[in-house]
Amino acid sequence: MSRRGAGDDDEREAAMSGEPRMSTVTVDGIAVELPAGATMLDAAKAADRWVPTVCFDERQAPFGACRVCMVGVAGSPKPVPACTTLCRDGMEIETEEPTARRVARAVVELVLSELPEAPAPSTELAQVAERLEVGEPRWGGATHSVDEDLRHPYLALRHELCISCGRCVRACDEVQGAFALTATGRGFEANITAGLDAGFEDSTCVACGACADTCPTDAITEISLVRQSERERS
Amino acid sequence: MSRNLVELIRRHHSVDAPTALEVLKEAMDDHGELTDADRQRAAEVSGLPEAAVYGVSTFYDDLLAPRGTRHVRVCTGTACFAAARETTVERVGEGLGIAPGERSADGSVSLAETVCLGFCHSSPAIRVGDTVDAGPGVAERAIAGESRAAGEPEWVSLLPEPVLLRAGDWSGLRRALTELGREGLLKEVEAAEVRGRGGAGFPAGAKWAFAAKAEGAEKFIVANGDEGDPGSYIDKYLMERNPELLLEGMALAGYAVGAAHGFVLCRSEYPLSKPALDLAAASARERGLLGDGILGTDFDFDVTIIEGAGSYVVGEETALLACVQGLRGTVSARPPFPAERGVYGMPTVVNNVETLCNVPFVATAGAAAYRALSPDTDTTGSKLVCFNERFARPSVYEVPFGMTVRELCEDVAGGLRDGAQIKAVQIGGPLGGILPASLLDTRFDFEPLAAVGCMVGHGSILAFDQSTDMRDVARHLLRFGADESCGKCFPCRIGLRRAYEEFAADAPVDQARLEDLLEALELGSLCAHGGGIPAPLRSLLTHFPEELGLA
Repeated sequence: MSRRGAGDDDEREAAMSGEPRMSTVTVDGIAVELPAGATMLDAAKAADRWVPTVCFDERQAPFGACRVCMVGVAGSPKPVPACTTLCRDGMEIETEEPTARRVARAVVELVLSELPEAPAPSTELAQVAERLEVGEPRWGGATHSVDEDLRHPYLALRHELCISCGRCVRACDEVQGAFALTATGRGFEANITAGLDAGFEDSTCVACGACADTCPTDAITEISLVRQSERERS
Repeated sequence: MSRNLVELIRRHHSVDAPTALEVLKEAMDDHGELTDADRQRAAEVSGLPEAAVYGVSTFYDDLLAPRGTRHVRVCTGTACFAAARETTVERVGEGLGIAPGERSADGSVSLAETVCLGFCHSSPAIRVGDTVDAGPGVAERAIAGESRAAGEPEWVSLLPEPVLLRAGDWSGLRRALTELGREGLLKEVEAAEVRGRGGAGFPAGAKWAFAAKAEGAEKFIVANGDEGDPGSYIDKYLMERNPELLLEGMALAGYAVGAAHGFVLCRSEYPLSKPALDLAAASARERGLLGDGILGTDFDFDVTIIEGAGSYVVGEETALLACVQGLRGTVSARPPFPAERGVYGMPTVVNNVETLCNVPFVATAGAAAYRALSPDTDTTGSKLVCFNERFARPSVYEVPFGMTVRELCEDVAGGLRDGAQIKAVQIGGPLGGILPASLLDTRFDFEPLAAVGCMVGHGSILAFDQSTDMRDVARHLLRFGADESCGKCFPCRIGLRRAYEEFAADAPVDQARLEDLLEALELGSLCAHGGGIPAPLRSLLTHFPEELGLA
């Protein structure tokens, strides 16, 4: 395994040197002042500018998995992920920089292409796709096979809708401290499960619902909602 | 990497205690498949939640394929592809009557694919148990149960005095402890401009300086021996033939940054590496070169040798740290960098095996002597390169930077065997560009290779002969890329699968869509895996477009 991203050296230097201090950056021309350690996504929020995100949840540490929050930075040859890139004084951030947006759209299109059906319009993923004007994906190929776990009295886990954003696993780890969920598999087969893959009830799950609350595709949701949509369809 | 999980591990930590991954590996070795009881025991021993252990058990190749009494692993690395395409695994599967990932009904035999066994000099290669066989007839011997250990060619240095092939004698550590001191050693390594040999080329001295400055109750050195690049067997030679040089390099790193413990993560695909390193470490301990109060000073340093479990991306430094701690080998966003938060959340230096093997010479002979090793270029030190089986004299060679790729291929490795012609060479692993025969006069050095879309990478030089279909090469590389994606970032997880599907289908490749995909991979991927696989594709698009079936 070799080679790192071209910007890493600068990033490493920046991360490892200098005293913590406030920094002032502009987001689409709007100046905001931020504390040390603030990310570009923090800056965009402070400037009230929208940056699309899928794996981000403000209650959790940034994860850097979805790569949808790409933004442009003046003087940088390539876009950077806003959720994990720290602000440096004087940075000029451009949320709708064309290359950054092209990458974000391409990634959202890829995500839609792995689902056996389009995500429900109410889901965060569907809303991000709509706002980025990503329609029907151009990609055929493999999709997740349907695998529904409806054993728990309240929680449904529909593996085919999982996009491995890690939000449920982090909610269980960082917010609830139950450690009932894990990422599974790797590559295209990556997914999530509870405990030893024997369902929520046979895990340390406390049925707090934090995972369902944060899931951007309703892969984890309330059983009652799944039943209701089944009734509506039939 | 979850800070909470790392904290749970730290609280259970003692360097001799097995990680969750090690418990699971032992269970596989013992009974050939994992049960929930194994996972529960791994959770108890490691302090990890059961779910986290389940996640680990579904990540690594070595934990997935069920094993029979005779476990046959066919190498599907790029050197074996260049030698025999995919015919070896097909033939063995037919002969044994099972497909990869299957075990025979009577449990006598099982078959799996593996990338790569490091016998690229003698491809194709097959591992049965811990015996690696290679060369003509290898498939038939595996089917008949008659596999035998293949030999490995001697390594050769082209330098007047070998540096990396010279057996480690600890003179560098002696000089550092008695003459240079911590500051002096760090200055010497910085002045030598030792660039990382794992592929990224990041200055080792700068990494060390960050870790030396970082505050932590403990610090750690991690030697990255997860030489996953198909076609490369350089670190394999170093770990198995010159393990004390690596241990000396690690001790020097520990002395420079203030670390008292190091880990070597070597690959499970190299069954001889961990035993060689364990033996060398035990011998060094006996001689007072590792342990407490090394050479009568107040410097303490010891090492733990860990074996991976089958994952290419674990060669990425954050994934490597996850694996060292027994977690899923997925990549984490940086910052934090390992120099701030590494093993057990403590400041950690991660250096490639070859990089660390460069340091004893710097400590012994000084930065000026190190800089002089490659007289024709500003790049410092020497480099190990290795060649695949297509060449007449494939082996590991120590060379100065600045020779042309043609000189390396023709004068050093003797050109291709049996009068075959080079169609192209892939340099530096699966994330390295592909150099067509017309550009062989490019110098083997960081900048000249970068100028033609290639890289030094880890130093493998892998020839495809005239009979090679470049669309097959694209498909081979993309299958590897998709199979090995850790699954963390979306562009790599889904994009490499889509790219593979494009080239595997019996249909023209939509160029416009491919371009969008390559850009998303290059600019969007979290690590060099998704970001780097487009490089050889770009080369193929530039130099062999007519062979790719584009539309």
